[in-house]
Amino acid sequence: MTGQDVNWVFADLARGERAHLTRVQVACYPEALVIGMPDGAQITWCWNTLRRVRDQADRRVMVLLHNGDPLTRLYLADQGTQEVVSRHARSLGKRDHATPLSKILLWAGGAVASVAVIIFLLVPLMATQLAEILPPEGEKALGDTTFEQIRTALSETGFEGRLRICDDPAGTAAMQAMYTRLNPDADLPYDVQIHVLDHPMVNAFALPGGRLVFFRGLLEEADNPDEVAAVLAHEIGHVVYRDPTRDALRSAGSLGVLGLLFGDFAGGTVALFIANQLINASYSKAAEARADDYAHGLLEKANVSPVALGTFFERLHEEHGDAEGIVAHFASHPQMTDRISAAQAAVDPNRDYDTILEAQSWRDLQSVCGGHGTPPSSGDAPAKKPWTQSE
Amino acid sequence: MPPSNLTISYAGEKGPVFWLALRTGILTVLTLGIYRFWAKTRLRRYYWSAIRPGGAPLEYVGDPLEKLLGFLVAVVFMAFYIGVVNLILMYFSFALLNANYAAYGLSFLGLTPIIFFAQYRARRYILARTRWRGIRFGLEPGAWGYSWRSMVHWIATLCTAGLMWPLTTLWLEKYRVSRTFYGDQRFVQGGAKGMLFGAMRHVYYALGLSVAATVMLVLYGNPAWVLVYLLSGPWLIYGWAYWRAESFKRMTEAKQLGEMRFTANPRPGRIIGIYALGGLMMNIVIFGVFFVAFLALGLVAGTTDLESINIEDMDVATTALVPVVMLVYFLFIILTRAMTHAWITLPLAQHFAEVTEIVNTQNIADIVQRDRDEFSEAEGFAEALDVGAAI
Repeated sequence: MTGQDVNWVFADLARGERAHLTRVQVACYPEALVIGMPDGAQITWCWNTLRRVRDQADRRVMVLLHNGDPLTRLYLADQGTQEVVSRHARSLGKRDHATPLSKILLWAGGAVASVAVIIFLLVPLMATQLAEILPPEGEKALGDTTFEQIRTALSETGFEGRLRICDDPAGTAAMQAMYTRLNPDADLPYDVQIHVLDHPMVNAFALPGGRLVFFRGLLEEADNPDEVAAVLAHEIGHVVYRDPTRDALRSAGSLGVLGLLFGDFAGGTVALFIANQLINASYSKAAEARADDYAHGLLEKANVSPVALGTFFERLHEEHGDAEGIVAHFASHPQMTDRISAAQAAVDPNRDYDTILEAQSWRDLQSVCGGHGTPPSSGDAPAKKPWTQSE
Repeated sequence: MPPSNLTISYAGEKGPVFWLALRTGILTVLTLGIYRFWAKTRLRRYYWSAIRPGGAPLEYVGDPLEKLLGFLVAVVFMAFYIGVVNLILMYFSFALLNANYAAYGLSFLGLTPIIFFAQYRARRYILARTRWRGIRFGLEPGAWGYSWRSMVHWIATLCTAGLMWPLTTLWLEKYRVSRTFYGDQRFVQGGAKGMLFGAMRHVYYALGLSVAATVMLVLYGNPAWVLVYLLSGPWLIYGWAYWRAESFKRMTEAKQLGEMRFTANPRPGRIIGIYALGGLMMNIVIFGVFFVAFLALGLVAGTTDLESINIEDMDVATTALVPVVMLVYFLFIILTRAMTHAWITLPLAQHFAEVTEIVNTQNIADIVQRDRDEFSEAEGFAEALDVGAAI
């Protein structure tokens, strides 16, 4: 071949025309890689157009291609020549995309728009309609399932199966007394069940089918029984208007779509997400205001000052900031101050309000999970504490 | 020309595929799943290039951006279906059946035609992006035909408690393979209807023996019959491995590509060995990781003053713990996947590749290139439904 000073080595060439590899000779010139065909013809690949096929299993062979010719491949096994090629060809790793970025952006926009329309318009609309007509038995079943999911998801590190329900008889009786005093039965489509879960989070929420869940943290954080009663009345308001059912149906629709977007990379993420979504159930502002109004009426009827609803959240907000469950839930609403003043406005200045529970019942309620400060169950205490310190 | 054969050599190695899977897995989590299109493409490039019939590697030329685009296209259509259908099914399942497992079941049933459709489309995309010796593979359109046939065959299989499975396997393989091309040459899948029943025989023997033992146990109450399970249990495992090996052999040897034929001799013992060894190694590593983590935890716990922790710190710590737990969880999944690639997927691919041979290849150079299958949706539907090939 041409030139005595260059070193010709053998390589294989696939031209993408027939299922056949051509044995060729390859030489490295200063400006290009030259491929000598068996018939004497020569192909010249300029160094800056040379690309290497990535992620190849066989590390002894370098697979090369030439930008602009997607079919031809050169299989170069000679180590010495591979080194020369790596030195000369500056853009071996460059990626030449055939898919136009504008097209991707267009469809990405389409995908986002379609998901947004479904999650923010279509699904809420349908959920509202369906929640109205779901029979109470169906709602109960939905609530039961969700309740168990939440207990499982919140069982800390998963060493114990599910979160414990606090069922100290005196405390349960105190909670029941509070509920009886508020006496909302006339408004409800079904009976209400109240549970206290043994968890330090300051939170309470309503589930479909009339399950109300309080966390131990909220009972411990409250200054007086009226504050707990105010939260209870507010959550009963959600039950009356079936907000939890609507929200559960909505998340059933939205989560499937979100799972589609993110890919179910680790199956459990979705389950976690469901629980999180339900606990921090973000009802609409209208739904919150409606539940507040209902709570004011209920508290007023029971001769308890409605102002407790506002003051409790206000104090929690000051103490904990925005991060905590119920505080974030309520305090992040921009009309927080409106709601506090609404609570104050609902107070009748000429009236002499009672407290909802006497001192002994209040103590019973606060220790429904087994008393202040003592770890609720010896099993999970060692699991939590070391982590606490490491943070 | 005299008859000639091509053996298949395998260049994949456990170390590189482990690091590739680990790196791409971590990037996938860090990018909230967006990198998964690149991750899959890179792993495929690796696995494809490891298979070298006659010394020339297969090449996977799929473009991650094209996969991303296909996924976005699928999301635009699927989001509506999944969002609305999930919501409606959830409603009906709770309204009529008071349970949510029915919703999952129905939702899955509603998706099955699309799942089979997506599987065929994914196969078409993958084959269209696979080359050997520079020549493209290809699959003719026919996804809906595949979808309804699959449904019919699966229903038949379920109705016969799985006895029909060998026939289903062969029929669906025939549908796919007979539409597969290499260059301009069409593959043919031969084989009589009963061909694969023999490959299932050890499963039948083991099941028959177990049923007989159970019947005798119930009839005579002699606990000695339980000992039969000691034989039939391992026999069932062997039967499963025998099915994997023998069904592959029988179907491969009944395939034709022009005048080319194939031979294959996979060994059931090797398949069991790969799973046993891989499983053992993975357990050792996972146990080791847990052991070290446990020691570290114990060390922290030992130096912590348990009495000085107050509840408020714990709340903060619990909140901060969630991302840590999530991160550990994701790392665990990524590690498991990477180890599965290195110890199970790759050795299996290696075994099946090395025992396969292509015979009568003397006229292979007559095969010419086929046109590019543009296929803008790529395997978007399979991606969206998460039913694509494992790699």
